[in-house]
Formats: sequence, structure tokens, C-alpha cells
Amino acid sequence: MIAARPMPSQEIARAARAELEPPPLITGYQDDGTITKSILDFVWKRPSRGWWALFFLGLTGTGILSIAVAVTVARGIGMWGNNVPVGWAFGIVNFVWWIGIGHAGTLISAILLLFQQKWRTSINRFAEAMTLFAVMQAGLYPILHLGRPWFAYYLFPYPSTLKMWPQFKSPLMWDVFAVSTYLLTSLLFWYLGLIPDLASMRDASTGRRRRQIYGIFALGWRGSARHWHHYKIAYLLLAGLATPLVISVHTIVSFDFAVALLPGWHTTVFPPYFVAGAVFSGFAMVITLIVPARKFMKLDHLVTKVHLEAMNKVILVTGLIVFYGYAMEHFVAWYSGNEYEFHQFFFTRPRGPLRYAYFTQMFCNVLVPQIFWFKRARTSIAIMWIASILINVGMWCERFVIVVLSLHQDFLPSSWAVYSPTIVDISIFAGTMGFFGALFLLFLKFIPAVAISEIKELQLEMRHQHANVPYQPSELEAVKP
Amino acid sequence: MKSFVLGEFGTPEAVVEAAGKLHAAGRPGLDAYSPYPLHGIDEALGLKRSPVPLFALIGGVTGAASGYLMQWWMNAVNYPINVGNRPMHSWPLNIPITFEGGILIGVLSIFFGSMALFGLPRPYHAVFESEQFRTASLDAFWISVETERTDETQAIEEELRKVGARRIHTVQEGV
Repeated sequence: MIAARPMPSQEIARAARAELEPPPLITGYQDDGTITKSILDFVWKRPSRGWWALFFLGLTGTGILSIAVAVTVARGIGMWGNNVPVGWAFGIVNFVWWIGIGHAGTLISAILLLFQQKWRTSINRFAEAMTLFAVMQAGLYPILHLGRPWFAYYLFPYPSTLKMWPQFKSPLMWDVFAVSTYLLTSLLFWYLGLIPDLASMRDASTGRRRRQIYGIFALGWRGSARHWHHYKIAYLLLAGLATPLVISVHTIVSFDFAVALLPGWHTTVFPPYFVAGAVFSGFAMVITLIVPARKFMKLDHLVTKVHLEAMNKVILVTGLIVFYGYAMEHFVAWYSGNEYEFHQFFFTRPRGPLRYAYFTQMFCNVLVPQIFWFKRARTSIAIMWIASILINVGMWCERFVIVVLSLHQDFLPSSWAVYSPTIVDISIFAGTMGFFGALFLLFLKFIPAVAISEIKELQLEMRHQHANVPYQPSELEAVKP
Repeated sequence: MKSFVLGEFGTPEAVVEAAGKLHAAGRPGLDAYSPYPLHGIDEALGLKRSPVPLFALIGGVTGAASGYLMQWWMNAVNYPINVGNRPMHSWPLNIPITFEGGILIGVLSIFFGSMALFGLPRPYHAVFESEQFRTASLDAFWISVETERTDETQAIEEELRKVGARRIHTVQEGV
């Protein structure tokens, strides 16, 4: 009997290790110089024809938005399709949709930082920009919905000659504080992360004008160790505050509904289900935007399939939470024995005149994400891109169902009415998409879309890991006692 | 007139080691520059704990307390509003804005507090007099030694060369 020649144990260990090692977050050999160059290349290059075409489309949308807003302001809120039972139609549907999209940015930049998820580094800048621009669109709707938007400042507690104060027992006032805090926090968090990269741009630029402009925005950052020392902890603390903030924002948005007594709104499952839904649609939007962007900006080596797959896993998980929310709503409507709730969930939604929105919601939010159980779907660019768009359509329909379908058939059949949006409603919605797109394209063109300094640090960390040298990431060093 | 002696290093490990050596030798006016935060540089330069967490705590507590007091004073004292016969001072309904107030002032104090610590925005700094210093935000690492005495710069340059700087440059604060 001849024993098989044993493999040297070291070799076995190495082979086993290679098998277990996850694919790298940055592909190919990169040093600090090539990272800077590959990220900034798109910014220095003259914009391509494709960029101009998309930007023109975005500007057209912005133009349509301006006209529709002007019409609303000049002729009044009656230009919208809102009617007597459906007082909260497109204005609130789109508000919730946009603000939900924004939440993925904060989740990626703040929560994943606290959880030390390395894959966030390549996409956080991108997602934070998305947050900022989405919240800007969202803020537009409630202000216009006031009817007399020029009095929007009445919402803030300032000492006025009227000697009155806002009514703080209303969830709508909570919204004002939550959304304005959210916008400001997202902006400052984004800008703090951007300062070192703006300094890199100032120093890498060749032209005098560019150097001056980026120099102004870099505020004189010189990468001093004494600055990094405070910077690390400031960034970590901002992430720590942004995390509960993002959860509170969508919780408060859900209170707009849950605090009311309307069947279909008055539900305790709303806060967690709204937060999960926001993350769900936000991640889908990140996929929708980053899939074409990484290709055209040649960032495949930094935004790899590992990142895309991780995002698809988050979509799957949050999709299941959303599904649980739907299931609970229906279960409680039946179990409570409340006939109005029962009617809302088992007649109005599946059998009413607006049932197509309900079925689109269920198809896109419940069935479509299930495809991400399969690794092939999670790593296929075409499948994930189509799924991400469908999910955003589904999430828009969900808000439409919650807002419009609950309102249009409430308690008394004599007060029921059907809702349909007007051309002004549709123009504002399409217009905000154009405005968002235009802002996003300007961001891609003028600001590094991937956080350069963070990628360099990640790369150093990976090099240490490869050489088996323990490396403590600097964001944790800051919390050492 | 202030002078800065600048020394460039190729790797993060080298700059941390060099900064540690210079600091241990008691050299005053030291600073290091890098494109990203460096591991171990805080100890090498002997930096004290950052006060930023304290700013966050004070800001957060102030924000939350003033958020709560604002709602109580405005809706229960100065201009009482009866909403569905709820108590004028109904604390559970004050929680959301109290929370948001804490976050808002906390975030503002972190951001503007760190800006104050950085001394930014600052349009001019002597290190920018060196054209080579541009690599500090791209792919190289620098140490600077600040000194008031111009006769000392030669000696400092020698010290930097000894700890392994590959490029040395002395700049003076512009007038």
C-alpha cells in the first residue's frame, strides 16, 4: 500500500486561506498616485457628449419644474389634483419618496462606518451626494403644499409681531425640525469628508483658476497631523449623531400618518417599516445611479462587484422587513375586527378604482427583491439595474397607496372620491427628477465621486492585512481611552 | 520671521518613525502632513486628547434642553394652545423636537468646533510657499519644523536628513 504524497501543510493552509479570502475591495495594483489619478480623471477631462446630453435633459426637467412651481404659486394649490377627501396627494407621496431615497446615503456613510464595513468607502461620497440632492427635492413639496409658500418661515419659531408661536404638538412641526436638521447634518458631514479631497484637487490641478477655486473650497486644509487628530473623532461623532438622526427622520415622517386616526394610517408598525422602506428604496437608487456611473467614469476598480453585491444583500434584507410590514398591516386589519381597517386593506386596496397601484407595489417590493436570493442575480449588472428601477417604482406606489388610497375611501362612503393627478402634479414630479439629475451630474463633474483620502487609507490597511501585520483603522484609534 | 523646514518621506511608516525620533529628541515646532490620517502619528507627536467629544456633549445637551424648554415656554406659558384638550404641557409630544434639537446643536458644535481647532478657513500658510509640498495631499508624507531663528534652519535640515527625509525644503512666511 502506497500512501499518497502528503501536501506540505503550509501549502494546504495557503490554499485554504485563498479559498476563504473574500475578493478584494480594490482590484489591481494601486498606489496613492494612481488612486488619485483614476478618481480625478473624470473631473479633469472635458465633459463627454453623453454627459452634456444627460445634463441637458436634467436642465429641461429643471425648466419644467420651474414653470410648474410658478403656476402653482401664481394660481394656487387648486392647480394640483388634490380634492376633498384626498388632501395629501402627490405633494406628500413625492416628499416621502424623495426623503426615503436620501436615507441610503446616511446609512452607507454613517451606520456602515460605525459597523466598520469596509465596502462603504468606495460608495459613501456618491451616496451622500444622493442624500443631499434627494432631501432638497423632498423639501420642495411640503413648502409648496402650504399653499402660500412665501409664508413658509411661519413654521420656524421666531419672535414675530403676531406674538404667536408654532404649534409643537403637531407631527408636521416635527417634520420641519427633522428635515431641516437632516439636511444640515448631511451637508456638514459630506463637506467635512470632502475637505481633504478638495485639498487633493487643489494640489493636483494644473490650471491657476482651478487651483484657486478648489483652494477656496478646501479652506486651506494642509493635512496636518494636528488636524487629522481632531478630524477623525469629529467625523466619527458626526456619524454617531447621523445614525439616530436618520432613523428619527423617517420615524417622524411616518408619524405624519400614524398619529392620525385614518384607517390605513393609524398603525404602530409604521415607524420601523418606514425606516426599512426608506433604506430599501435608497439602496435601489444607489444601484440605479452607480451602475452606469462606474462604467462611464471608469471606476470599476474601486466600485467592484463586491460592493454591488453587498448593496443587493441590503436590498433583500430591507425588502423582507418591508414585506413583514405589509403582512402585519393586513393581519392587524383582519385581527382587530375594525370594519374600516378591514375595508381599507381588503376592499379599497385590492379591489378599489386605484388597485393597479396596490398590485404594482406588491409586485415590485415583495416579488422583485426575492431575485437577490440568487448570487447570479446579485452579481449581474443588467438584472440588478432593472430590479433597482422596479423597486423604486414599487416604493413610489407604496407611498401612493398609503397616502391616496387611504384617503380616498375613509369612513363615510358619502365622502369618497377618486383622485387623479393633474399635469402640474406630474410636471413637478418629473421636474424634480430632472433637477436631481442635473445636480448629480454637476457633482460627478466637479467633485471626486469617490472619497480619495479614505480609499488611500483603505488601501494601506489592505496592504497591511495582506502582509499579516495587524492594522488598526484610524477611525477607531480616535475612541481609544 | 517664521521659517518652516520641510522634509518629504515616501511611506507612512517612515514619516511616523521620523516624527517619533524628532519628538523624542525634544525638537519643538513639529508637525506632520499626510493625504490621509496616519496610524500612530498622534503618539509620535505626543498629541493630547481631542476636545471634540466634549463639544459634542455640551452642544447635544444644550440643544436638547433648549429644544424642550422652547416648546414648553412657547406652547404652555407664553402662548398656550389648547389642542383637543390635551394638557398644555404634554411632554411626550415634545420628545421629537427635543431630540432633533440635541442632534442639530451637537452637529453644529462638532463641525464649527473642529473648524476652530483647525484654524480653518485659513487662506495662507507658509508651507504652501513650497511648490513640492503639493504632494502632501496626494502621495507623499511631510514633516515640518517651525522655527523663529533663521540661523537654526541648517541644523534642522541636517536632523531631517538624518531621520530619512528624501527631499528637504526651507520656506519662510511671506510678508
